[in-house]
Amino acid sequence: MADDAPVLRISGLVKDFDGFRALNGIDLEFGKGLMVGLIGPNGCGKSTMMKCISRIHPQTEGTIEVDGKDISAMKASEVAKIVANVPAEAGQTFGISVMDMVMLGRYPFVDRIWWENPEDERITREALRTFGIDHLRRKQVALCSSGERQRALIAKAYVQEPKLMLVDEPTSHLDIKYKLQVMEYLQKMARSDMTVVVAEHDISLMARYCDVCVIMKRGEVVAVGDPRTIITEQLIKRVYEVEARVGFDADGEVYMLPKRCLEDCVRGHRLHPSDPGRDALPVPAVSSPFSTPEHLPNGKKMYLLGQVEALDE
Amino acid sequence: MSKTGLLSQLRRGYDGMRSDLEDPDVSEIGLKKRRFRLIVIFGLFMSVIAFLISISISSGGVIPLSDSVGSLFSSIGKALHGDGNLDTIEMYIFNARLPRTIAAIAVGAGLAIAGCMYQAVIRNPLVDPYITGVSSGAGCLAMAATALGFSIPFLMDNTLYVIPFMAIVGGVIAFAITMTVAEGSGGSSVNYILAGIIVGFAFSSIQTVFMSMGKDYLTDIMWWLYGSFSNIKWEDAWIVFIPVMGISTIAMVWAREFNLYSMGEDQAAQLGMDVKRFKRMTMIVASVLTSLCVAFVGIIGFVGLVVPHACRMALGSDHRLIMPASVVIGAMLMLFADLMARTVMSPTELPVGAITAMIGTPVFAYMLMKRGRSYGG
Repeated sequence: MADDAPVLRISGLVKDFDGFRALNGIDLEFGKGLMVGLIGPNGCGKSTMMKCISRIHPQTEGTIEVDGKDISAMKASEVAKIVANVPAEAGQTFGISVMDMVMLGRYPFVDRIWWENPEDERITREALRTFGIDHLRRKQVALCSSGERQRALIAKAYVQEPKLMLVDEPTSHLDIKYKLQVMEYLQKMARSDMTVVVAEHDISLMARYCDVCVIMKRGEVVAVGDPRTIITEQLIKRVYEVEARVGFDADGEVYMLPKRCLEDCVRGHRLHPSDPGRDALPVPAVSSPFSTPEHLPNGKKMYLLGQVEALDE
Repeated sequence: MSKTGLLSQLRRGYDGMRSDLEDPDVSEIGLKKRRFRLIVIFGLFMSVIAFLISISISSGGVIPLSDSVGSLFSSIGKALHGDGNLDTIEMYIFNARLPRTIAAIAVGAGLAIAGCMYQAVIRNPLVDPYITGVSSGAGCLAMAATALGFSIPFLMDNTLYVIPFMAIVGGVIAFAITMTVAEGSGGSSVNYILAGIIVGFAFSSIQTVFMSMGKDYLTDIMWWLYGSFSNIKWEDAWIVFIPVMGISTIAMVWAREFNLYSMGEDQAAQLGMDVKRFKRMTMIVASVLTSLCVAFVGIIGFVGLVVPHACRMALGSDHRLIMPASVVIGAMLMLFADLMARTVMSPTELPVGAITAMIGTPVFAYMLMKRGRSYGG
């Protein structure tokens, strides 16, 4: 890893939008085969940074080098061959099939008009099998489940055969199983020498899967490093203004449990850590969330809330 | 294989495709190529049939197919050799029906493919070729020319061209304003629709003013507003046919880019496409196409909105299949609509625009009910 040139080198990256500074001097460097997690509050510049790296937005200042080449000097179609981008959502897909969508990832490589080469199709089918969606290839993307759709989007980036893959909130609509599945796919790709950069809000998940985490706040990098060492209660408090519990589980994995918002949402001012905050609000006098069953004339029981006993039967 | 007819070959192609669908290792591109060939063969076959029916039947009566084909070739032969001695049927076919048929094919194909392009680029299913205000702009200046009795100095001896000429000018002006407003407000798809709608309103209101000024020409104006092929001459037919076919071919070359663009601008840009330029180019091309169609035959609704949708429902989302299919279906729908327009209440001719909607609506409603559930995500 050390003898190779870094896959991604960002120096002094600044991005302004109409007077608003979204990124304020970012310096980062990552080697081959790493899984990098971008963590930070909403609007901290994660997505903007990704869009700058994939040349959707031109940067205001600074340089971005991918695989040793300055991307602002490259043609967009050349950048597309080394950087792939997985959007958070597929958006309006106009009835496109899974295979057609994944095959669009080959667009930068197809040198003739109209039809893709057999080689492109082979790569696409291989990717569909890798991500376990080959049986869905004729299904419309719009009719797939969120998990299937997310895998299709990742497959689309995968067929670009990039050096660097940028993934924006891949698990935001997924249940816990698909969350783990998607992260495992991403990790697998990182292990196959592709550098993967993931932006995500689930800190425990990121700490578990990423080799390096980058913590951002207001367009700046706050911390970079091994998630096991950099994710601390102080850091969460500083970045999110949230009191959290950070610990290690029995397997030695970091977990983070948010406990209390340090901003008083009701009164709109920042709480002092010693301020009781929400805990000071009066608690309504409810002893149990479940009422005692009422016996109906037909002998059945009726519950006002929940059906706890029904689950046991 | 050797002795099978066209229809059974088509059928075999389709059945073969169905059995191939079961094969897990079948090449999807191969299937698509086959479907494409099928569309082209079927399209050519149906176009020839529609063409022959169209030249054989009209408000003047039915000419037996053998006679009409014979006369068609003999008249073309005579025309090519500069021989002006056409007999009655030859003259009728060569000078009245042939240009009209050619224009109908061109306008149907042009409107359908323009609609297809707009829907892909604006990514809104309600879009039709008149969305950028082209029809209102063209209508407005055409009305002005009729009402005020315009004549253009260098076309003075040929008053026939004044209205189409003014219509093209109006269409292009309206589009230029729409594009200026849309690009000035950031150039997003929604801004294009909004700009097109307000420009359309502006021109329609001016058009109404001219209409009330030119009360004496109301019938002419009505013909133009609902579309008609009745005044098409050879000269017009070529002016519509050649550019429309040329531009449609150019548009079809971009089919893969349309596929990419319909996934969203960020995704397309990330895959190395110059999104802004592509959008601008397609908007210009589609608007020129629409202006040309509107200029000679007036405003024919429905085809440009519904034909691309019908093709999407039947064939999926790949523009490499949708675009050629739209050309074929659009041309055929227009041919049959024109045929009905001049025969149903013969000798009175009906406006084509009304007929296209009358034929198309039930078919489309049926397709929507059958396929609509899986459509429109």
